[in-house]
Amino acid sequence: MAGSNEINLNECKMVVPLNTWVLISNFKLAYNLLRRPDGTFNRHLAEFLDRRVPANLNPVGGVFSFDVLVDRGTGLLSRIYRPASAEEPQPNITELEKPVTEEVVPVIIFFHGGSFAHSSANSTIYDNLCRLLVGICKAVVVSVNYRRAPENRYPCAYDDGWTALKWVNSRSWLQSRKDSKVHIYLAGDSSGGNIAHHVAVRAVESGIDVLGNILLNPMFGGQERTESEKRLDGKYFVTLRDRDWYWRAFLPEGEDRDHPACNPFGPNGRSLEGIKFPKSLVVVAGFDLIQDWQLAYVEGLKKAGQEVKHLYMEQATIGFYLLPNNSHFHIVMDEINYQACLYSEEEEFQHVAGSISVLVKRINGSDCVDELQVSSYTGILALCA
Amino acid sequence: MLRYDSTSSSAGSSSGSLSSSSSSSKPPQQEIDGLLAGAGYKVWSSELRQVAQRLERLETAMGNSPADFSQLASDAILYNPSDLACWVDSLLTEFAEPPPTCSSDFIVDPVNNQTVVNSAWTAAEPHAPQVHQNITYDEQQSLDNQSTVVTATEEDSGIRLVHMLMTCAECVQSGDLSLATSLIDDMQGLLTHVNTVCGIGKVAGHFIDALSRRIFQGMGGGSVNGGSAFENEILYHHFYEACPYLKFAHFTANQAILEAFDGHDCVHVVDFNLMHGLQWPALIQALALRPGGPPLLRLTGIGPPSPDGRDSLREIGLRLAELARSVNVRFAFRGVAASRLEDVKPWMLQVNPKEAVAFNSIMQLHRLLGSEQTRNSPIDTVLSWIRGLNPKIMTVVEQEANHNQPGFLDRFTEALYYYSTMSDSLEACRVQPEKALAEIYIQREIGNVVSCEGSARVERHEPLAKWRRRLSGAGFRALHLGSNAFKQASMLLTLFSAEGYSVEENEGCLSLGWHSRPLIGASAWQAVPAWENHMSSS
Repeated sequence: MAGSNEINLNECKMVVPLNTWVLISNFKLAYNLLRRPDGTFNRHLAEFLDRRVPANLNPVGGVFSFDVLVDRGTGLLSRIYRPASAEEPQPNITELEKPVTEEVVPVIIFFHGGSFAHSSANSTIYDNLCRLLVGICKAVVVSVNYRRAPENRYPCAYDDGWTALKWVNSRSWLQSRKDSKVHIYLAGDSSGGNIAHHVAVRAVESGIDVLGNILLNPMFGGQERTESEKRLDGKYFVTLRDRDWYWRAFLPEGEDRDHPACNPFGPNGRSLEGIKFPKSLVVVAGFDLIQDWQLAYVEGLKKAGQEVKHLYMEQATIGFYLLPNNSHFHIVMDEINYQACLYSEEEEFQHVAGSISVLVKRINGSDCVDELQVSSYTGILALCA
Repeated sequence: MLRYDSTSSSAGSSSGSLSSSSSSSKPPQQEIDGLLAGAGYKVWSSELRQVAQRLERLETAMGNSPADFSQLASDAILYNPSDLACWVDSLLTEFAEPPPTCSSDFIVDPVNNQTVVNSAWTAAEPHAPQVHQNITYDEQQSLDNQSTVVTATEEDSGIRLVHMLMTCAECVQSGDLSLATSLIDDMQGLLTHVNTVCGIGKVAGHFIDALSRRIFQGMGGGSVNGGSAFENEILYHHFYEACPYLKFAHFTANQAILEAFDGHDCVHVVDFNLMHGLQWPALIQALALRPGGPPLLRLTGIGPPSPDGRDSLREIGLRLAELARSVNVRFAFRGVAASRLEDVKPWMLQVNPKEAVAFNSIMQLHRLLGSEQTRNSPIDTVLSWIRGLNPKIMTVVEQEANHNQPGFLDRFTEALYYYSTMSDSLEACRVQPEKALAEIYIQREIGNVVSCEGSARVERHEPLAKWRRRLSGAGFRALHLGSNAFKQASMLLTLFSAEGYSVEENEGCLSLGWHSRPLIGASAWQAVPAWENHMSSS
């Protein structure tokens, strides 16, 4: 049906900048090559195609990064992003895990997207996003390189998230001065958002405090075909067919999409009523075909009496947060700052979500990168587990 | 470097005060789209629309037969995914009719395909002779990005040891030898409290020894890099067996050489360091199985002279000849004995103008680097005569590390991380004595990097980004290693039980690393014909 195909392509090109369209279309194209009809995944080609960056001790835009081995048994790596301090711009080899000095430092545990199968913590797009989060929230960001489907199905990704959470919670160097506790936030986009939810549930059940959840276009689903799925199927980069493939790849074999991992408030889900669940910020893109499930998630939280802020970005497609060339991006980043992280009294006074004055401040402020500070770096060290 | 304010053609929503500089007239200097570059993709701003159109065509083509695509993807060889225009075009040629606006040069096999694309851009951009040289963002980032770390849980003693190693190195650099000496004593003591099985404890001992040698014995190196050629060969062989780095090097180089030799009946490989000739049986066998039959293969192996009257080069040659005979490959071997690579003269190699020549350098080129950047340094001389022989391909494998910095402290810290990562990866090896001897192999390298100077310091590793600049400047251009090489390298890794290894692709080069830190990088090169270079520099 070449005719309707053309219409689809044209519609979607009208709502995103050209370079965004090229970026996301390229992902879509590559991902089509990787998914096999029999449910297997061309992992070698996926790794070949994924664009990555190494960690960088040299501060770039005031942020430096290094990788840690969180769990030797599973080979679970995470990338830590920290703000470079003004007095000592280049961290010494022994100072990577230097205790944070501020009264309150948010620690954001980030789970990258990719529908449980694609990308890694060191994928360039996610490295960029994590660096941004450090700047916006004055936070330490821990990006978890969780095991992916289909080679590692449910609950591997959740287990890895849980392992990372425990690890973060037990780092004395991440404790805020104010109360000697680690101020943990969970964040993620797409499958990462789904993981953040499930890890939060586990945290609460185990008595670890999570201060907030930030879910960007979180990946949820269900057996039923919702109105948004039918209406938007194939229109804005994503098809129902690929969504189904990824669930089949992640969920235990034989399970359907009403499995609670996919549909946490569905027929097999459980209510979170009475549980001290973290407050949530749920961002939904208006052109995301699974928005009905995301809205159902928000409703599920509300019904259970949980605090949730729902940010609906009407004209946004999936991946809008990957490039800073659209207003949705800036609005959402501003909201994340407000919800999750430090803000001075002055900023709070000025805060109106999406207000031009705040946007302008963000763009012209030190959060954006001006120059690359090239200076000699120090190498780092593998310590024993 | 993340540039949020460079050229981004916005077709839709507003972007606040971000500058949008898309103008109707094409700028005289081509610019890449800054935002896409930030995401790891290189597209000329002026080509963005074309790339989008081609993506659309590809999508339409795929829409017609979706099931075929994953199968085709498994079989196709794809190159350099960062170069979006190139990548989309190669997919189009695989899966659809080639675009009508492009020249017919785009068809045919990938090796030629990329050559055509490169020279097309060379012709169009007289100020940018090499496609990749324009992209300073990427090079800068890759140059600065060597400082990755993998830390596991803290161990107080481990951290103290690191701190002391750094302080000691600092003292050595500033000349405070008495403090350095007392630190050595303290560290020896501390070593007994630290877990020496893995991580820092394991290599700390080697670094303490190397520092000690530097302080007490001066920097001639003496017996550090010593060890006879025979000893070195043994250590090399065990390092080869214990971990995948050298296998990856051989494998990747052979793959590229095989492809470069396609269609040639007389081929000649020059190996800069024959050792036991471990790399060549696989190539000989692959050539034997070549459709259309094997070529005549000449192998010239360079190596140090044998002190005891044996001609070890010739012995290796004989064994390889035996293998070649058994698989019906016509084979001729020549050994060139030289203590140093710079002593080799091109006439010794007896290259025949009619044959296709491949130069193979596995961790040899860095030995030609000195600490001063003088004119006519050995590296320049050697690269110059290599180029003069117009090889079909030059495979270069080097340690992915910055161990040739002038400052001692910088070098020391870089080496500390590099070798502790490498040593950590050795943990996966279960066989002895391979593991123990591989450890000694590493120890020798550490010793050279840390305690030697001047001509004694031969382990002058430089990262791929620097080699790219150096080789491009010397008149070579990169031949991209593709997805098949990547896949096969990845599959090689699955033979090792350890999960921590990973292969990465970066601008047509492959690297092998442990726990996300690249440790060894492989690339392939071809001499730019003199006439092309002349045109592009005018």
